[in-house]
Amino acid sequence: MELRTLTDAFGPSGYENPVRTLIRQEAEKRCDDVSVDRMGNLICRKPGRDRSKPAVAVAAHMDEIGFIVVGHTDDGLLRFRPVGGIDPRVVVSKWVLIGNDRLPGVIGAPPIHLQERDDLGKVLPFSKLHIDIGAKDQKEAESLAPLGSYAVFDTPYMEYGDGFVAAKALDDRVGCFNLLKLLEEEYDCDLICVFVTQEEVGLRGSHTAAFSLDAEIAVVLEGTAANDLGDVEERFHVCTPGQGVAVSFMDRASIADRALFKTMLKLAREQGIPAQVKRGITGGNDAASFQRGGRGARVVVLSVPCRYIHSANNVAKWSDIRAQADLARAFLKSL
Amino acid sequence: MLRDTLKTLLAAYGPTGSEHAVAEAIKSLLEGHVDSMRTDSLGNLIVEKFGSDEGGRRVMFSAHMDHIGLVVTHIEKEGFLRVSNLGGIGPAHVRGQKVVFENGTPGVVMLEPNTKGDGKQPTLEQLFVDIGAETREEAEKLVHIGDVAVYAPEFIALGKHRVAAPAMDDRCACALLVEMLLYAEDQKNTIIGVFSTQEEVGLRGATVAAFNLEPDIGLALDVTAWGDTPETKYPAVKLGQGPAVKIMDRSMIASPKVRDALFEAAEAAGVSVQREVLAFGGTDGGAIQQSRGGVPTGTLSIPCRYVHSAVETIDMRDMEGALKVLLQFIDRV
Amino acid sequence: MEMKAFLQEVTAKRGLPGDEGPVAQWVAERFGEYCDEVKIDAMHSVVGRIKGDGPRLAFLAHLDEVGLMVIKVEDDGSLRLGQVGGIDPRILPGMRLTVFGKETLPGIVGAKAPHLLSEEERGRAQKLEDMYVDLGLPAEKVKELVRVGDQVQLEHRFVELKNGRVAAKTLDDRCCVAILYRAMEHLKGLKHQADLYFIASSQEEVGGRGAMTSAYNAEPDMAMVLDVGFAHQPGCDRESTLDMGKPLITLGPYLNPVLTGKLEEVAGRIKVEVQKEVAPRGTGTDTDEVAASRSGVPCVLIGIPVKNMHTAVEVLDMNALEEAARLVAHFAAACEASWEEELWN
Repeated sequence: MELRTLTDAFGPSGYENPVRTLIRQEAEKRCDDVSVDRMGNLICRKPGRDRSKPAVAVAAHMDEIGFIVVGHTDDGLLRFRPVGGIDPRVVVSKWVLIGNDRLPGVIGAPPIHLQERDDLGKVLPFSKLHIDIGAKDQKEAESLAPLGSYAVFDTPYMEYGDGFVAAKALDDRVGCFNLLKLLEEEYDCDLICVFVTQEEVGLRGSHTAAFSLDAEIAVVLEGTAANDLGDVEERFHVCTPGQGVAVSFMDRASIADRALFKTMLKLAREQGIPAQVKRGITGGNDAASFQRGGRGARVVVLSVPCRYIHSANNVAKWSDIRAQADLARAFLKSL
Repeated sequence: MLRDTLKTLLAAYGPTGSEHAVAEAIKSLLEGHVDSMRTDSLGNLIVEKFGSDEGGRRVMFSAHMDHIGLVVTHIEKEGFLRVSNLGGIGPAHVRGQKVVFENGTPGVVMLEPNTKGDGKQPTLEQLFVDIGAETREEAEKLVHIGDVAVYAPEFIALGKHRVAAPAMDDRCACALLVEMLLYAEDQKNTIIGVFSTQEEVGLRGATVAAFNLEPDIGLALDVTAWGDTPETKYPAVKLGQGPAVKIMDRSMIASPKVRDALFEAAEAAGVSVQREVLAFGGTDGGAIQQSRGGVPTGTLSIPCRYVHSAVETIDMRDMEGALKVLLQFIDRV
Repeated sequence: MEMKAFLQEVTAKRGLPGDEGPVAQWVAERFGEYCDEVKIDAMHSVVGRIKGDGPRLAFLAHLDEVGLMVIKVEDDGSLRLGQVGGIDPRILPGMRLTVFGKETLPGIVGAKAPHLLSEEERGRAQKLEDMYVDLGLPAEKVKELVRVGDQVQLEHRFVELKNGRVAAKTLDDRCCVAILYRAMEHLKGLKHQADLYFIASSQEEVGGRGAMTSAYNAEPDMAMVLDVGFAHQPGCDRESTLDMGKPLITLGPYLNPVLTGKLEEVAGRIKVEVQKEVAPRGTGTDTDEVAASRSGVPCVLIGIPVKNMHTAVEVLDMNALEEAARLVAHFAAACEASWEEELWN
């Protein structure tokens, strides 16, 4: 499956269905034991050739940040709130798709001409932003995009620059993309590929998945903020696109198993897979759930450095995306 | 020589509205080397050097003679002069500076102390000029209301290539235009050199000149701001890296074909040039471009630090480069 | 070409102030389908003429678009931007821009991940000087391809919303160029006496510069300027905004009241519903320059209400466009020599 198909798919946290359907079709070609749990997590079990090896779960989240309709104005505009962490400053003058019919909409802003100079220094909060679908009045808006309708950024996949890709939801469809790749091969260890839901709204999918998985090791494939350009001081760069997959030693939600962390870096060095240590420690991801859910697991996170995550355009480099799959595969084969 | 011409022109008194002494200095430099010279109703000095080609274009080059100054608005009983600005000159520029009037009367500029201590920026109303007079009567023997003081002329060589002086804006361009008129020969296009007036108060001289002359092409010569001193980033223009071809400023977006002709001229002359985007300011180019039905126009700039201060600083290598570019440019449009 | 298709294409064309060449070329070709003569003048304005024996009547809609310009190439290859025309920088983070360097390059305006924002950063809007464009290219390559002064265009998408509404950048003011084009089509079926000039003017966003010089050349006896107005949306007063769906007529001292009366008569006769607004002083459109051209030009000003002006998602109602086109065509057809006498009586 192409990365484009995954990033263009509609799947805000809590409504991952279209993404899950796509992945399921693909996974079933490569794996006999595919199931969906009651949180919507898609779980693919692939028994290993050697039962003495530890079972390894590899996870990526299917959901993306998005929006949800919370009301309608007299003028037929949609009031909305973010689903997941979105800086309101990145949504002004952007394009979205809403609901099951994928209605196109735009998020406007008052014209610069009608604003006071001071206004330009202020952040437009979600309470002052609206989605315009062209509805004439409240009634029409309610029928076209009822309360609770989901929306996502409408950002067609684009390859650009020196081997970069720009799309919405690279966080974490790159992980899903690579996880499907891992399913193509046979390993000595038991492999459990978990495509989880609701990461962006509080690691909720992985919470229940971890409970039932019973894996000794969990590897999380993520797309993580790079923060390497602009006026960011070098000491605050989290990781650098083009320098390979980023291996975390910790973040705010989990601390990597030290041995796994070292193993990953060693494997990368030995096999010539580009890798870097992720320097920033803010944020958190599904590794926290796997580490502490159920019987617990040794965890490590492998991330693709992504610029501008949680905006309309995430940017990642293909060489890093490939490195994530290469390192995860090398790890599974090394067991 | 460019440096001597520059020195001569910098020495002339010429605030906005009283540019005649500068015009006289230019005339004596050009006498016998051009085909015609005349002065129009606004005091613009218009110099022509005809082209050899019947069908040649008429290219207007404009450099402004005027210079910012302080105009006397009131004389205090104690002999101090109160002043207002002529062009963009503020308290931060003139505080502590030496100035001079047309009749040679010197003065020093000072600011009232901020007795309120409110940390507010000083205003022009708080400025005064001390000419040494002890009474209004004594002062009035030397200076009248409406007289204009300018920074006292000075010519400071800084390092190997750089020079600082008041009125560098825009006498350095006047010097370039004089030299270009002297050096140009056998050109196909007709050169109309306009040494313009009242640029600092809104391109007034050039507006009238362009309307009357109806040129085919326009090129303004002026200084531009700099981005190479502490805490100054924009424009991305540096001293000594060559003259700057203007892309845009508040008055004009350079016409692509004139802009490109400048790049070609620079290449032919083997001179490196910089590209200038200015979020503020304007030049005579804006007035020429928007004259009548529109005149394709560009601007060639000399990077100049500390514009509108008493120590406007340029690099002579940029001047030499600009002259070469100009000579190549004349017949490329 | 159908008007919506025209609008979709024309809004995509490159035409920042001062370098309207590509959009001018395309518009000149379209105008050529109906005009007796078309030229692009020294300032890149497109001037089409449909000849007549009567008074010279000019229609002006501006061609240029608001945009950005590279003001610095940083050592890491990211680009710093300056404005060309009034853009609210708050629309930019996360947007795809087009950079016209030696090659045409896509670039993305960086936006920090929300996890990494300090409280202080969250609370204030980014300034343009804090933003940068990421071309995804190594710094050396960027320096080879992009230079200070290169133009940068906002992201173009043409989105059809419900009820005949469309969203795109540069509906201001190319929707009015589309109206002129559509009006020419209507004029094929109408008789007219006036000598008609259709001017797609340049450099409006930096101060009516193209209209000023084009009007000087065309020497019209009367003129109609078409520009966009502010449609009602949240965050704006009801009083200073208009409804979608209907064209508007502006009243005020810069506009000729008798000629405006003529326009209203025409609108009434052909049943075009209009709304009105008042510009107590300058109109902020090409009118301000055109009306003062040479010895003066009596002007009327009509407009199309647009939401989100100067963003990449300006929204208008196609119905207003259709109605305005009818009004323009019938106004052109109605114009006769006797009007000139009446204007000052």
